[in-house]
Amino acid sequence: MSLRVASRPSKYLCKSCRFDLSRARKRKYGTSSITSNPQDIYDVVTVGGGPVGLALLTALKSSPATSHLRCALIETQTLPKQKSWDLPPDQYSNRASSITPTNQSFLESIGAWKHLDLRRVQPYDEMQVGDAGNDASIQFDWKAEAVRYNAPLRTVATMVENANLTRALLRRLEELDAEDCLLSSSSVASIGNGIDDPEGLNLSNWPVISLNSAGTAESSSTRQIAARLLIGADGINSPVRTFAGISTNGWDYNRHGVVATLKLEPQPDSPFSSSSSDPNSALEDFLSDDTQTTSTSPSQATNENITPSNRATAYQRFLPSLGGPIAILPLPNNHASLVWSTTPQIASTLKSLSPSALASTINAALRLNEVDIKYMLSLPSSSDNEHDHESELTWRLQHTPQPPPARAPPMITAVQPHTPASFPLRLRNASSYISPRLALAGDAAHTIHPLAGQGLNLGLGDAEALARCILGSVACGADVGDAMRLEGYSAERYGRAVEMGGGVDVLNGVYQMGGEGSLSGDGVVGGLLGRMRGLGMWVVGNVPGVKEGIMRRAG
Amino acid sequence: MNSLRHDFIQSCLRSVSSASPNSNDAQNPEATRKYKYLDVGCGGGIFASSAARLPNTASVTAIDPTSEVIKVAREHQRGDPMLSQPGRLQYLNCAIEELDSHIEGQGKESFDFVTVFEVVEHIDKPAAFLRQALAHLKPGGWLIGSTIARHPVSYLTTKIVAEAPWPIGVVPPGTHDWNKYVNPSEVREWFAHENHELHTRNVETSDNEGRIEAGDKYGVVRVEGCIYLPLLGWKWAGGTAESR
Repeated sequence: MSLRVASRPSKYLCKSCRFDLSRARKRKYGTSSITSNPQDIYDVVTVGGGPVGLALLTALKSSPATSHLRCALIETQTLPKQKSWDLPPDQYSNRASSITPTNQSFLESIGAWKHLDLRRVQPYDEMQVGDAGNDASIQFDWKAEAVRYNAPLRTVATMVENANLTRALLRRLEELDAEDCLLSSSSVASIGNGIDDPEGLNLSNWPVISLNSAGTAESSSTRQIAARLLIGADGINSPVRTFAGISTNGWDYNRHGVVATLKLEPQPDSPFSSSSSDPNSALEDFLSDDTQTTSTSPSQATNENITPSNRATAYQRFLPSLGGPIAILPLPNNHASLVWSTTPQIASTLKSLSPSALASTINAALRLNEVDIKYMLSLPSSSDNEHDHESELTWRLQHTPQPPPARAPPMITAVQPHTPASFPLRLRNASSYISPRLALAGDAAHTIHPLAGQGLNLGLGDAEALARCILGSVACGADVGDAMRLEGYSAERYGRAVEMGGGVDVLNGVYQMGGEGSLSGDGVVGGLLGRMRGLGMWVVGNVPGVKEGIMRRAG
Repeated sequence: MNSLRHDFIQSCLRSVSSASPNSNDAQNPEATRKYKYLDVGCGGGIFASSAARLPNTASVTAIDPTSEVIKVAREHQRGDPMLSQPGRLQYLNCAIEELDSHIEGQGKESFDFVTVFEVVEHIDKPAAFLRQALAHLKPGGWLIGSTIARHPVSYLTTKIVAEAPWPIGVVPPGTHDWNKYVNPSEVREWFAHENHELHTRNVETSDNEGRIEAGDKYGVVRVEGCIYLPLLGWKWAGGTAESR
């Protein structure tokens, strides 16, 4: 499809088509002197070697219908180093993601899941959510379904370190003999359009990428490659999106996400052991009977080393006056991943604390009133007495009502050194995910608040949908970069991302009402809002089908 | 409509061979067989270029008597290195009657597929046209086409709606002549008639009422109905306009 529109409007081109073509002209033009060397012409070029870009390449290469496509993946970092990533079993990376069952199926179908180190992943089957502004709490799980169908409990999601996932995808690409697609340690210098050679090919609507490959200091090279379809999986500041002239909408949350790897106090037993104070105890007795039977079966014993235990709970507590929720996401062997969305000031305070002070502060955030938490955050971070934070916590815990044991979050015993870090939280959505010969996936298309753990999941969903779109094009001999064929991908993913990003944005806003510094303040109005939120949480938890509906949509 | 066309071609191939031609079974000769296409009335090359991109295509010869559309088709071909591979896709500005003089060195009956998509409804004398097209088909090859049925529904969709002024219409008025549309039953009858004609020329037989028999030149006629639904695209209609 040529992007040049006839200067004299032809009566054979209906007005709607003319409008679409002129919109495509907004792409930035820069011509490149690419030759028509077949070595430089690719079917699918993906910029970005994160999990989303790698998953897309793996999906294309693992399907016989698309494995013949000439693909390249451009990544600035050194991918071979990521393939040899290795951490001891008592250390976990601070960037871990919660992978939904749908995406686990996708990763299994492309042959990548089996390359994960499964001893380092943690499926969890319950999520406890609480609100520091009231006594409300809700548990997300599939227990009702398990009882109804007399079936094992369904996994809510699985925690996987991002590095584990990236390594698994790289191993799968090696298995598929597709490593030559990886242009590692390469950066995109510029993207332009090809030229129209009157005696040869017309590549004027093909994106041409100029690459700088870092070799040794003397031998860094530049190369130009043409893409039938250029895919931007290159993050929130996507250069591919900029080349396409696609604008974004959104805002910065003025919040940071603080991450760290935590060590937990070993749980006494599974969270499903009977507890008379818990109204659900009869239910949990039923389920714990099941687990005891299966855990003593011989097959379970022999598989123990590679089958991760499925008894884990994720915790999230909303802190309306402290800027966002704190989440503890389980990892194997009594470890956990922290994601604490909070104000920039609190974030820098947290990062300045010693590991033991930080552990006490996190424990405080999970259990104490917000007033107490704020006091703890105001303690000097570097003090002569190492145990200031710890003693404050102990004293205040005595005076704070605690949730029943079945709902109690774990005690943090230590923070893994060098893991506290933070990143700014932003909402972004590209005004379009496609353009002729171009598609965006992952954070390049949309960035959302982390409170529901859906960012990477959306990106993997994009990769699956885009691979399927490309497969459909190949099956009917279409040009994979054809804009009309890409519209199927956009139709499938755009609404989904807006729904998810908008949904967590609303939740984030609702759960910061009634806090100090918020519009509603700390007084009567704030208290009322807290009660209303509690009522809302009760409705979600107790009206039949609402909770399951939410979990199904998110999973 | 292109994806429906390819689906239809695949289902025709499957109906005669036990193994799918797209299977990766190395023992199966069908799996490695490459097909030669003749696209008659190719227009801008929408179908011809899609056929040329399929992995099991040996070559595509696409013809159209209108020189402007051949120019567009060649321009489009230049924009795709795969279509520009030597021998893969060839556009000829000629009518079916003149094809022989343009492809030299190839005898008659040299194509696996002869395709006539959205052509027959524009032809004054479809019988003679089809005979010309069929002369280029290999034994065992397929004539595959699509056309508009002559039915009140198609009058509404192709004349009243499609040729309406912008923003409703999509083609210039006068593109189609409803009286030239043919129906599936007419197509079936014509092939049965052709078979019969060829029989009585060679062998003394009684009229077999249109059944396909051994020795017939033309085999099974398969027809599927399809319809364009706004916002959804082209879909199989599960039957034809006549049979409803």
